[in-house]
Amino acid sequence: TFSLTPLRKAHRGPVAQDPAVVLNKLSISDSPPPSRDHSSRAEVDNENSPMLPVAMTPRSSKRKSAQLVSSRIRKQLNLLDNQQDLNSDGEDEDEFVPSKKEMQSSSEDDDGEEEAELHSDEEVVLKKGRRAAAGSRTPRSRQKTQSSTRTPRKTPNKKVKVRQPENSTSHRVLFFSPLLSEQITPSTPRTPRGATPSIPCRSLPARQPANVLEEARTRLHVSSVPESLPCREQEFQDIYSFVESKIMDGTGGCMYISGVPGTGKTATVHEVMRCLQHAADVDEIPPFHFIEINGMKMTDPHQAYVQIQQKLTGQKATADHAAALLEKRFSNPAPRKETTVLLVDELDLLWTRKQNVMYNLFDWPTRRHARLVVLTIANTMDLPERIMINRVASRLGLTRMSFQPYSFKQLQQIITSRLNKVKAFEEDALQLVSRKVAALSGDARRCLDICRRATEICEHSAAEPSATGLVGMSHVMEALNEMFSSAYTTAIKCASVQEQLFLRAVIAEFRRLGLEEATFQQVFVQHQALCRVEGLQPVSVSEGLAVCQRLGACRLLLLEPSRLGVLQRIRINVSQDDVLYSLKAD
Amino acid sequence: MHVMFSKAVTEGGLVVGGLRRRAELQDYALDSALSWSRSGWWGGRVGFRVTMSKRKMTDAHLSVEECVTQVQEILRERFCRQQLPDRLEGLEAQHKHLLELLRRTAVHGESNSVLIVGPRGAGKTMLLKCVLRDLLEEKEVQKNLLQVHLNGLLQTDDRIALKEITRQLHLENVVGDKVFGSFAENLAFLLEALKKGDRSSSRPVLFVLDEFDLFAHHKNQTLLYNLFDVSQSAQAPVAVVGLTCRLDVLELLEKRVKSRFSHRQIHLLSGTTFPQFLQRVRMQLSLPDDFPDKEFARDWNTGTLCENKSVEEALQRHFNSSKDFRSMNALLMFCLSRVSATKPAVRPADLLEASRLCFCDAKANMLHGLSILELCLIIAMKHLNDVYEGEPFNLQMVHNEFKKFLQRKSNSMYNFEQPVIMKAFEHLQQLELIRPVDGSSAKTQKEYQLMRLMLDHSQIMEALQKYPQCPTDVKQWAMSAFG
Repeated sequence: TFSLTPLRKAHRGPVAQDPAVVLNKLSISDSPPPSRDHSSRAEVDNENSPMLPVAMTPRSSKRKSAQLVSSRIRKQLNLLDNQQDLNSDGEDEDEFVPSKKEMQSSSEDDDGEEEAELHSDEEVVLKKGRRAAAGSRTPRSRQKTQSSTRTPRKTPNKKVKVRQPENSTSHRVLFFSPLLSEQITPSTPRTPRGATPSIPCRSLPARQPANVLEEARTRLHVSSVPESLPCREQEFQDIYSFVESKIMDGTGGCMYISGVPGTGKTATVHEVMRCLQHAADVDEIPPFHFIEINGMKMTDPHQAYVQIQQKLTGQKATADHAAALLEKRFSNPAPRKETTVLLVDELDLLWTRKQNVMYNLFDWPTRRHARLVVLTIANTMDLPERIMINRVASRLGLTRMSFQPYSFKQLQQIITSRLNKVKAFEEDALQLVSRKVAALSGDARRCLDICRRATEICEHSAAEPSATGLVGMSHVMEALNEMFSSAYTTAIKCASVQEQLFLRAVIAEFRRLGLEEATFQQVFVQHQALCRVEGLQPVSVSEGLAVCQRLGACRLLLLEPSRLGVLQRIRINVSQDDVLYSLKAD
Repeated sequence: MHVMFSKAVTEGGLVVGGLRRRAELQDYALDSALSWSRSGWWGGRVGFRVTMSKRKMTDAHLSVEECVTQVQEILRERFCRQQLPDRLEGLEAQHKHLLELLRRTAVHGESNSVLIVGPRGAGKTMLLKCVLRDLLEEKEVQKNLLQVHLNGLLQTDDRIALKEITRQLHLENVVGDKVFGSFAENLAFLLEALKKGDRSSSRPVLFVLDEFDLFAHHKNQTLLYNLFDVSQSAQAPVAVVGLTCRLDVLELLEKRVKSRFSHRQIHLLSGTTFPQFLQRVRMQLSLPDDFPDKEFARDWNTGTLCENKSVEEALQRHFNSSKDFRSMNALLMFCLSRVSATKPAVRPADLLEASRLCFCDAKANMLHGLSILELCLIIAMKHLNDVYEGEPFNLQMVHNEFKKFLQRKSNSMYNFEQPVIMKAFEHLQQLELIRPVDGSSAKTQKEYQLMRLMLDHSQIMEALQKYPQCPTDVKQWAMSAFG
């Protein structure tokens, strides 16, 4: 009976369209009798994907033998598919030239018109898909289709009839490809077609770490992918079960993940995806498609559509067009019934005035057949309340998770697990780093960076024979000081005599005025007086201004634009006590 | 010429060069015709090249002109082109830190990010260039490292910066010097390129961001986020080096950008003392050992800026004002430009004159060029400032003040027509000696537009002292307490 399933699927393919479309475009005689379906559920599962075997549905996937057979079938069908793709490539381009031109012009002047155009195209595609799908698999249904081609349509349809049957997805892709490349802003020169983004290769191989400290440094680099993610087990579990359940059920949903930078949000999601991918590879769960976008890695929020579209289908499109295509894709049954998992990093960057990007991202998962799971990540916990309008926030739903900053124990555990028995640090040193970072920010990146710097300091001071070769407290302290101490005090100490005098003059003038702001002219009077007290030659106004500008460039002082000359107002960017303290010290 | 040289020698103090040797004098006679035709060293360069090549093999001694030309060439290169020193005085630790960091990127493929912070003229760029020079001497590095240099003043937004990066990396969407694709495409292309690379196989890229703080003002800090993100993830190895003079630069970074930055900062805050400063000045002025004429070089080196009280004072004043390299080089440049064949030495007088030029007040200088009427208006404004404690004034008030002066005690000045006064007033505004008050609308009539004086009293008084043939009553008026 199993060998029969694909056939039956093919039969049922045509029925699977959205009822409205079916009624519109297809004569009733075209669809097989509904009595053939044993259950309505099956129909939902199998819609629009004649080439996909039953194995894809969650229920059947649980049976071993079914999986084996169906995977074999899937492989064969895929092969067949690809060949056909190649065959029909050129043909396709020729056929749709007029339609392409039409699209291009319309998309440029009017959105509404484009919508309309898209719809008509959509119909064409659907038809083709249906006919092709039906035709390719079963001789019986092909006859049926042929008989049904007398739909009230014009030229493109006629041409379609002549063409080789194909599967619906590839149709869509081929159909739009010439058009898309035309559409990308014709004024700017396009990226050459064959250009592959890549960095040239090294001529000499990279050197491998030679000693313990270097090895430790490599492991501690933020970029190195750890074997596991300690201290995020709970979050991992939650996200995993959320996504897994959605994939198993074939439904969609949204999740909002928040937390300050460096708390492992993105890393955890990636880890979840790796695990799920592994599970899908061994057929524990149905296969899914994972794509990722990042609000910071695009030039404008609407590019999100372009990137999603490109990652889903490999096709380029303008933002408007991509939005329309995605809209269509998610409002229709997903191709091959695959769940799509979409990770949206730095969500707050996708904010627009009308919030339509966010709206769409959260609206698609709610569509009946979309099978889209959206995981969003941002820094702020109350982002939905703060920046989203009600209809967007409501669609995002209440599935939220927040990543707390790491505690010092967790940070310590993270370092230890990364080092993984490479003995490079003293226990106390590790504890010091993690306590310090936990108190400041709980940012794991910071923690790793400090440890890495400490290994360098240790390596350079290793000339001393007393050292055990391990990174000790002193090294860590030095690294911490380098990274966290402010340079203002040193900067004031190292400033020239006149600069120091000027700072004193500013403070003296502030005290006299009782304000935290004074004009250069006022300060200059004080400066001249101080010069006389110190027994220095009084400086000219130009020189005084130059001194003032230098202090302003370091941001020890805050200044108005320098074209105001002696009238510019001055403030101090450091606390007065700090200035006095650093001036007194020497 | 003989007379002139011996005079220069007997003047003593700071003589560089010394007596001519006989052999050289003979040489000198040979191409004296050529020498006479040279006026400055620019003119001299051409002739010098010719004679130089002719004589190179026969004689190491050069004539005075040639020596001076040579000196000018070497020192100008040093002062203006910022020729790199062989080793960095007082910056050894920073040099080592940066060198090690970049070497690890180049050799081990470890991604890094670092900021070099220091006041203007502290030698940030020089440090980086020195490190790169030393780094590129290693074969292993030379072949591997790709460099991208950006400057916040040139790449004023991410769009331009991305094009420039793509161009300098010679990615495949570059044809000739032209970068193809839109902004979004370029970003995607670059990120894809970097993402495809990995630690061990792709060539490390060094990004140098000069005026780093300006990049932080770009929209969303997209470029910084992406560069730092690449440096913290398993992609093509990069080293991001930012140069800035702002001490508060980290506060400019958004928190997610800041988290991705490694927080390494190299501060160039030198506690140079005055003896070190003097040493540095001498070093800058001294000739190298491979100078063609050994004796000339020795005389120059021993004679330059020796212990002279006034020189030391001038330098001390300069040191008190600022410690940076650039202003020191500017000072020495003034001295150098006064060295000529007739005076092949840097004398104390030269340095004092140069220091006077450096310290003179720009606005006071401008006042010397004003007409008496304009000067009178300035004085009237000064009195108004005294009376009204710095409140803004308009043309009518100034004119009234001026008229009061004329009525009371003027015998050398007479009244001018209103349009003449107006013209003078406008001229002062153009020179930016006065400027309109911010809020005042352009609609008000010119006579009533409120203005502020952009000069300090000391500047006005100083200018009056030096003003050629200033009438006494005007001077007295300026000095009197109230108009």
